[in-house]
Amino acid sequence: MKSLAFLQTIANAIFRRARVEAEMEEELRSHIRDRAADLERSGMAHEEAERRARIEFGGYEHVKEECRGSLGARFWEALVQDLRFGGRLLLKAPGFAAVTILTLALGIGANTAIFSVIYAVLLRPLPYTHPEELVVGFEDNLQRGIPISGCSYQDLTELQESGIFASIGGVNRHDLTITGSGSPALVKTVVVTPEVFPVLNAKPLLGRYFFSGDEKKGSAPVALVSEGLWRSRFGGDSTLVGKSIMLDQRAFTVVGIMPASFKVPVFSDHQEIWIPIVHDPLFSAWIPNRNQHWLRAVGRLNPGVTLARAKAEAGAVGQRMEKEFPAENGGWALRIAPMQAAIVEDVRTPLLILLGAVGLVLLLACVNIANLLLARTSSRTKEMALRQALGARRGRMIRQLLTESALLGLLGAALGLMLAYSGANALTALLPRDLPSMHNVQIDAPVLGFALLISLMATALFGLIPAFLTTDSNLQFNLKDNAAHSGSGSGRLRLRRFLAAAEIGVATILVVGAGLLMRSLLTMTSVNPGFTPANILKAEVSLPRYRYSSPQQWKTFAETLLERIQAQPGLKDSAFAVPVPLANGQIALNFTIADHAAPAAGTPTTADYVSVTPEYFQVMGIPLLHGRYFAREDSDHAHPIAIISESFARVYFKDENPIGKRLMFGFPPDSNVVREIVGVVGGVRNTELTQEPGPMMYVPFAQAPFWGGNLVVKSASPPATTVAAIRDIVRGLDNDLPVTDIVTMPEVLDASVAQPKFRTWLVSAFGAIALLLAAIGVFGVMSYSVASRTRELGVRAALGASQSSIVRMILLEGMKLGGVGLGFGLAGALGFSWFLKSQLYGVTAHDPMTLALSVGVLLAVAVLACYLPARRAMRVDPMIALRCE
Amino acid sequence: MPEHAQILPGTLDLLILKAVSLGPLHGYGILLRIEQISKQALLIEQGALYPALFRLVRQGLLKASWGTSENNRKAKFYQLTPAGHRRLREETEGWDRLVAAITAALRTQPEEL
Repeated sequence: MKSLAFLQTIANAIFRRARVEAEMEEELRSHIRDRAADLERSGMAHEEAERRARIEFGGYEHVKEECRGSLGARFWEALVQDLRFGGRLLLKAPGFAAVTILTLALGIGANTAIFSVIYAVLLRPLPYTHPEELVVGFEDNLQRGIPISGCSYQDLTELQESGIFASIGGVNRHDLTITGSGSPALVKTVVVTPEVFPVLNAKPLLGRYFFSGDEKKGSAPVALVSEGLWRSRFGGDSTLVGKSIMLDQRAFTVVGIMPASFKVPVFSDHQEIWIPIVHDPLFSAWIPNRNQHWLRAVGRLNPGVTLARAKAEAGAVGQRMEKEFPAENGGWALRIAPMQAAIVEDVRTPLLILLGAVGLVLLLACVNIANLLLARTSSRTKEMALRQALGARRGRMIRQLLTESALLGLLGAALGLMLAYSGANALTALLPRDLPSMHNVQIDAPVLGFALLISLMATALFGLIPAFLTTDSNLQFNLKDNAAHSGSGSGRLRLRRFLAAAEIGVATILVVGAGLLMRSLLTMTSVNPGFTPANILKAEVSLPRYRYSSPQQWKTFAETLLERIQAQPGLKDSAFAVPVPLANGQIALNFTIADHAAPAAGTPTTADYVSVTPEYFQVMGIPLLHGRYFAREDSDHAHPIAIISESFARVYFKDENPIGKRLMFGFPPDSNVVREIVGVVGGVRNTELTQEPGPMMYVPFAQAPFWGGNLVVKSASPPATTVAAIRDIVRGLDNDLPVTDIVTMPEVLDASVAQPKFRTWLVSAFGAIALLLAAIGVFGVMSYSVASRTRELGVRAALGASQSSIVRMILLEGMKLGGVGLGFGLAGALGFSWFLKSQLYGVTAHDPMTLALSVGVLLAVAVLACYLPARRAMRVDPMIALRCE
Repeated sequence: MPEHAQILPGTLDLLILKAVSLGPLHGYGILLRIEQISKQALLIEQGALYPALFRLVRQGLLKASWGTSENNRKAKFYQLTPAGHRRLREETEGWDRLVAAITAALRTQPEEL
């Protein structure tokens, strides 16, 4: 009731002010009229009565003002008044206004943009019901040095029966060739068990998802098609459900269309087709094999089951399986992790680092503006002192100054939001690949709230100190003209110096951080990948397994293809390989060394497996260290052989000569083929540029063919010509074969550092802004210092100080400022780089060269910022300086 | 003319509430009513009345509405809200206690100590 009345009065005050005023006027007038009438009745003359009534009433306008105060309209009126006044002030100093608003807009905009990404990735819950119940399951084998891998089908079944999950399914991915209805293409396929769909609240756009019947052996092959593929390839044909499509030359009945927002998390950004595991040409063979740890689990916990309990129970299941099946499960542990954490794991630290960096930029912007505002205090101080003398309260004046600051803050925020809005899309490059697609970066309510919050915080940060200083109530001091020479003036200068030093400090942190990241990126991009990427292009050809079903067919196809390619002018240096380093995933396979003591526990017994034609090593420029390369003669009829990489030889054979030794390994189902080592080649960075070359095993493609692979072509002719030639030849061999994933190796290398490159670029941009802001700060303070010391400088000049000594004096003062800032900044930078550590490659977090360079850059900027003020100091004319008092 | 008493700070609100509790009144009416019920002993500064009225309305103790006065003019009438009634009761009790205490204190004779 009371609050309602209160709200209403405020509403009246704001929106119906005119009416309220009129009513007040009428009420007061009628009072005076009534009083005059009464007086007249008591015998007074008409004019006299009216005069008397007015006198008795007291100061009419004063009463009205008091009534307005009682109405509670003061706050809003004062706000409007202050805003108007603040706006006028800004218009009067457009340069100051533009600089502050732009500085703030940059700071707030950058923060908002980065926060919008952080919110989308780290904070916003996954778009599923009860996302906190969602988990992923995987296995690791630390004894063999495998940090993360899938579960075997049997282990997944155990999890399903453990009772801790409402539902849990298994997934893996691979590509199938789609033919018919348009040109042949490779489609990104996720193989699943049917439980995955209810876990993820899947709602088909059309039709249904998979049920357990679709998983039975011998059931009809079924597939789900993504909305994207449905629209692009099938023109959104609503009768597609129920029809069959050809995947790897086999008919699958489409049972449903999944909306674009649906994605099975953990791997793969792009998903076009889902099929049950039993119908996959590759993975169906792995189901009975306990030895294959290949399925990532996606599950939902039973309500009330905590994550800790789920982890413990899964661990117990893993231990039981290890005991029961030591040969297949020895060393394997079952792990559970929250789904969101699993999805965002890789980007969490980089994003937080970016937020830290951009936060520092805003801090710097605030300090800078505080400094600018302080510079204006001397003029404002007189105004405030005058107002104080006329009776204004200090609180009211502080409020006015803060309102002015808030006006700046909000204008900055508005402009910043526009910047953030236009920049947010560019930042999608920061997103992890597995983020559900409905989860895009956008400027929504929480992000807007964040922007408002930081702009208010910024306002408080840059507005409070100047407001308090300006209204410092030492009246006489301030009313006297020479605030700049008085005690409070020099105290203010000290404060401004401190702020400028702080700016240098904050800038140091960012410059050092950016420097470290840049050096890290340089090291990363100049690293030797183990092969020579120049002029190499790779293109993938995948054979539908239902048409090319036998290894013999795969071999013949690859050989014919390669022969025809090599016959082309300029394409002589060509090879066929599965997989290609950095471009494809890796195939890590178990191996055992025949007649050899078992390696020490904890040593991994897996190595990356590559099947190549003999030309591969020369084409890729992988050097031969011992023994020989593969040759044409190493056919499927010949004795099985292998080539190992340098690190394989170093780790497993140490001082022994590996040539002639025998290894047992192979791609399933031929896992136990004994092969003789015939050569050792240089190591290759297979997984990531930043990862030291690991052990690798190569086999001749003729002895271990695949249903497809990569053409690797080294050619001086332009890529487009090469690609056209490849397409022609493939079409000549089989009209239904797609050529996909065509990319040059330099592009592959670029792409592998794209994320760190983008982040480094961002932090460097922040560092550059920070430097600029710090330079402005130092420049402002030094100019102020020189201006306020004009008389002193004049005296010095008059007494014979040389111009160079005056310049030296000013520069020294600037250096002192810079030195103090640098000291604090370096300490802060060491702290910041500690966070950077995990993102650095080939550089320590306290890399002396980066630190030295950063110090150099900052000192140079400080000197540069002092240069103009120093010149002005040098030119001080003693006569004018002395007279200016 | 009776001798005028200075009203104590803070008592104007109480007097207004009391005056209005006897029936809805417009501003000038309140002034007259206070003079009347105080037997002309209390003189209200006319200009101070309105800010107090506006304040009481804002506090939700009075309700204002436009009506027609006894001489057929449009006038703003004030009346007590339930909260106003409550406040009047409380303040009156408080005042009584205060007056009793102060009176007792002032009447104290040396021999009573």
